[in-house]
Amino acid sequence: MRRPWRSRLAAAALAVVAMGGLAACGSGAAGPPVLTWYINPDDGGQATIAQKCTQAAGGRYTIATSTLPRESSEQRQQLVRRLAANDSSIDIMSLDPPYIPEYAQAGFLAPIPPDVAARVTQGTVQSAIDGATWDGKLVTVPFWANTQLLWYKKSAAAAAGIDMSQPVTWDQLIQAAGKANTNIAAQGRRAESLTVWFNALIASAGGAVIAQNSTDPTQIKLGLDTPQGDRAAEVMSTFANSGREGAAFSTAGEDESVAAFEAGTAGWMVNWPFVWSKAKSGVEGGTLQQSVVDDYGWTLYPRVDADKPAAPPYGGINLGVGAFSAHPDLAYEATECITSTQNQKEYFLTNGNPASRSSVFSDPEVLADFPMAPTIEQSLQLAAPRPQTPYYSEVSGSIQREYHPPGSVTPGVTGKNATELIDAVLSGRQLL
Amino acid sequence: MSAKERNWWIVAGIVIVLYALFPIAWIVSLSFKAPADVANGQFLPSVFTWQNYSQILTGDAASLFLPALRNSFGICLIATFLACILSMFAAYAIARLDFRGKKLILSTALAVAIFPVISIVTPLFNLWRLIGLYDTWPGLIIPYLSLTLPLSIWTMSAFFREIPWEMEQAAQVDGATSWQAFRKVIVPLAAPGVFTTAILAFFLAWNDFVYGISLTSTSAARPVPAALGLFSGASQFEDPTGATAAAAVVVTIPVIILVLIFQRRIVSGLTNGAVKG
Amino acid sequence: MTTTVPPATTAPAHAAPRGGATDRAKAEQKLGWYLAGPAFVVMLLVTAYPIGQAVYQSLFAYRLTDPENRRFVGLSNYGVVLSDAIWWQSIATTVLITVITVAVELVLGFLLAMVMANALKSIRPVVRAAILLPYAIITVVSAFAWQFAFDLNSGFVNSWFSWIPGITADTDWFGSFGSSILVICLAEIWKTTPFISLLLLAGLAQVPDVLQEAAKVDGATWWQRMFKVTIPNMKAAIMVALLFRTLDAFRVFDSIFVMTAGANGTESVSFLAYRQTIARLEVGLGSAVSVLLFIAVVLIAFGFIKGFKVDLSQARGEK
Repeated sequence: MRRPWRSRLAAAALAVVAMGGLAACGSGAAGPPVLTWYINPDDGGQATIAQKCTQAAGGRYTIATSTLPRESSEQRQQLVRRLAANDSSIDIMSLDPPYIPEYAQAGFLAPIPPDVAARVTQGTVQSAIDGATWDGKLVTVPFWANTQLLWYKKSAAAAAGIDMSQPVTWDQLIQAAGKANTNIAAQGRRAESLTVWFNALIASAGGAVIAQNSTDPTQIKLGLDTPQGDRAAEVMSTFANSGREGAAFSTAGEDESVAAFEAGTAGWMVNWPFVWSKAKSGVEGGTLQQSVVDDYGWTLYPRVDADKPAAPPYGGINLGVGAFSAHPDLAYEATECITSTQNQKEYFLTNGNPASRSSVFSDPEVLADFPMAPTIEQSLQLAAPRPQTPYYSEVSGSIQREYHPPGSVTPGVTGKNATELIDAVLSGRQLL
Repeated sequence: MSAKERNWWIVAGIVIVLYALFPIAWIVSLSFKAPADVANGQFLPSVFTWQNYSQILTGDAASLFLPALRNSFGICLIATFLACILSMFAAYAIARLDFRGKKLILSTALAVAIFPVISIVTPLFNLWRLIGLYDTWPGLIIPYLSLTLPLSIWTMSAFFREIPWEMEQAAQVDGATSWQAFRKVIVPLAAPGVFTTAILAFFLAWNDFVYGISLTSTSAARPVPAALGLFSGASQFEDPTGATAAAAVVVTIPVIILVLIFQRRIVSGLTNGAVKG
Repeated sequence: MTTTVPPATTAPAHAAPRGGATDRAKAEQKLGWYLAGPAFVVMLLVTAYPIGQAVYQSLFAYRLTDPENRRFVGLSNYGVVLSDAIWWQSIATTVLITVITVAVELVLGFLLAMVMANALKSIRPVVRAAILLPYAIITVVSAFAWQFAFDLNSGFVNSWFSWIPGITADTDWFGSFGSSILVICLAEIWKTTPFISLLLLAGLAQVPDVLQEAAKVDGATWWQRMFKVTIPNMKAAIMVALLFRTLDAFRVFDSIFVMTAGANGTESVSFLAYRQTIARLEVGLGSAVSVLLFIAVVLIAFGFIKGFKVDLSQARGEK
């Protein structure tokens, strides 16, 4: 009676072990080294670039892509968990800039060879270089650079009698929307987009979320409880209680904003340039009237104070090379191919994600498809990055907790509360 | 039963069927809406389209969805199989033999069944990354046993209790060894119970979400529930409502098939102990 | 998630007489553990070991991306968690969801069980199959279905129910605490009522027909029979259903993850633990939350079994 039982159990155990072995040596096949590129979800552009660069490599390496989750905070979780396990299968990563300091500080990024650093920063917009830098050193390769514009319906602007060729403030926008009896679409959802908005407001007011930076979490000085922080909170609260913020403002993300703008319930919108690609494909697909798209206008992000230039949100993707990669040299070679001017241009044209290299914005083909390209480049020059700190997810998470819902933000109070929360969270005295 | 009463029960039955099917009908309907049609505010699509299905089965999202589907099937089937093997022996011992520790085993199964999964996922994650099981099939199969084993032991013990064990003794009297008696007489009688247990265990493993999102990170092992959150619209900022709905429908199909074929068994498996009490 | 009432442990008829430790009894003892041992060991390995590890890790300040600064802090992580308002808020939210869903499910499940018990033979398989679908469907899928239905953009609820005062085309269900909890509870109730109703159906079958007939003869009304005969006689089944569903509801995670991601104070204890360990990678603090959640679940189970005198052995059939 004993033996059959034992042999069955042994077979089961063997099956488990065998599966482990199979999973472990799945990538051990002969041939050129396979570089795994962890990409954020897009419209297939990065996969296409991976194929092109594999061909261009002439057999020295092939690039395989693996898709990360949609939310940047979840992308970070997946990558950091693998990197904390010293995972050598991570060669190239598409990284959201605010999280880069954490990777760099933890030693998760392979150092960039100086010659590569010199080549990839040549002709690159400054905000993209800043976003790829930590502690004075370039740690990632700028790939594409994003920024939010103020989109408007020409008809709504005409109805409100507002001249959109001049810089506008948030207060003026709320008034204009009142006159035109329409809404302004922004992102009030408790997500990264809320931090994006708040950071743009405080930077436009002349302040910063982190007033004095440090790699020691207890030495970080925050700038939330300052006149500039209060001014940002005031704009946020005024907007969210203006009656012009639209339905479901406190749960609206970027896509909800576009839906309101396309449907016509919003006459103004702050959003990333993907809205233009989306509008064009809507017309091609027959779900959006060409006349609606013809009504689209764009300009720089709204100001907080009339006398200070706006500091629009900065986003995009930079490429990091994993510190535990077996082929960091090849991986950096591949990032140079991926971020070539030609690839940046095609990625802009096909996926609507703006380039980090200035020359792309004046390319005739780009201008034909994206007439707002010069505005995007101008916006990128002004754009303010989100706070650069290895503890970004704590800072952003705390901001999302204290400044959500935006309608409940109180100038003079919320900034103080958020400062206390972030201090307590960073020193491990409170949960987040 | 009066005709009036009879009609009343029929109406009540129809209400229940509607209650159960309505959300499923909704997600099916949603999966046939084109991206621009999602916001039409109606239950049904304005135009039926297979677009979402082609996106997840052959299009952009296929590289996310198909491996996840394969992982889900593979991992859940193996976890179910292992749980059934292990609990078959345990349930036989519990139903058939008299030994000290029987209560301990059943109480342990109860304790494991009520265990908060989230409490053990972090230590498992740490252990897995140390021994290289993170993001692998065995890395999910082993924790899935914590879901499937307690249920299997209980359900199967309840079924085994109903088996007329005298037949085994009769076989032994006829000269069969105890192993032969077990295999030739008891196994055919026990098979339906084992099978029902397997279905219930499979449902449990199929339903897992916490292990799936915490212990995997690529299509090497990511199961479908964890992959549902990964779809994207044309850009990272666009909501993939249609693709998510289509994927949700695809993973629901196996469950519906199992329910329709084996409904009687599933009910008896779920209620066995109580009914026979 | 799903649990059946435990099976009987009654000794089989042929068992060796107690007291006399015969060779046969010894062999049986040994065989019993050989057969049941592997399952027992596996169950311990996949739960007892990790929870022990969690207890150990909860004594450290440890962030996964910063392993050098890992240091022993004793019980101070527990102090941090227990003195934090967010912990108590998540407890309150979890208890609220648990109480609402379990109460509604009990009533609704009872009604479903009554219908199934009385349904005509011809429609019984249809009703039974239908009721199994919510039980068998993936929780995440159910959560997506309900979320999309109530979502301002993709949903139909606002346009269908705009005749109800307070619901307009712009009603944002996930914009405030109350309405978010309502939708979360609806999804949970839809998904898990069938399980309760099946357990109650089994309980209904336990009520002796003789008693019902006797009460009828005595002129008891339908309500009197329900409260004096039916319900008291299925108390064991009700309590078992209540116990398992309460413990299940207390661990709510999937629906909240999908629908609100914890916004507007809808964070459950499980979700809080998930965010500390998996999202923030604060392994020490998160382990403390996990251990406290585990203790809470044990206390509930203990409270039910001792306080409400849920007699599991009765449900097992040990009279």
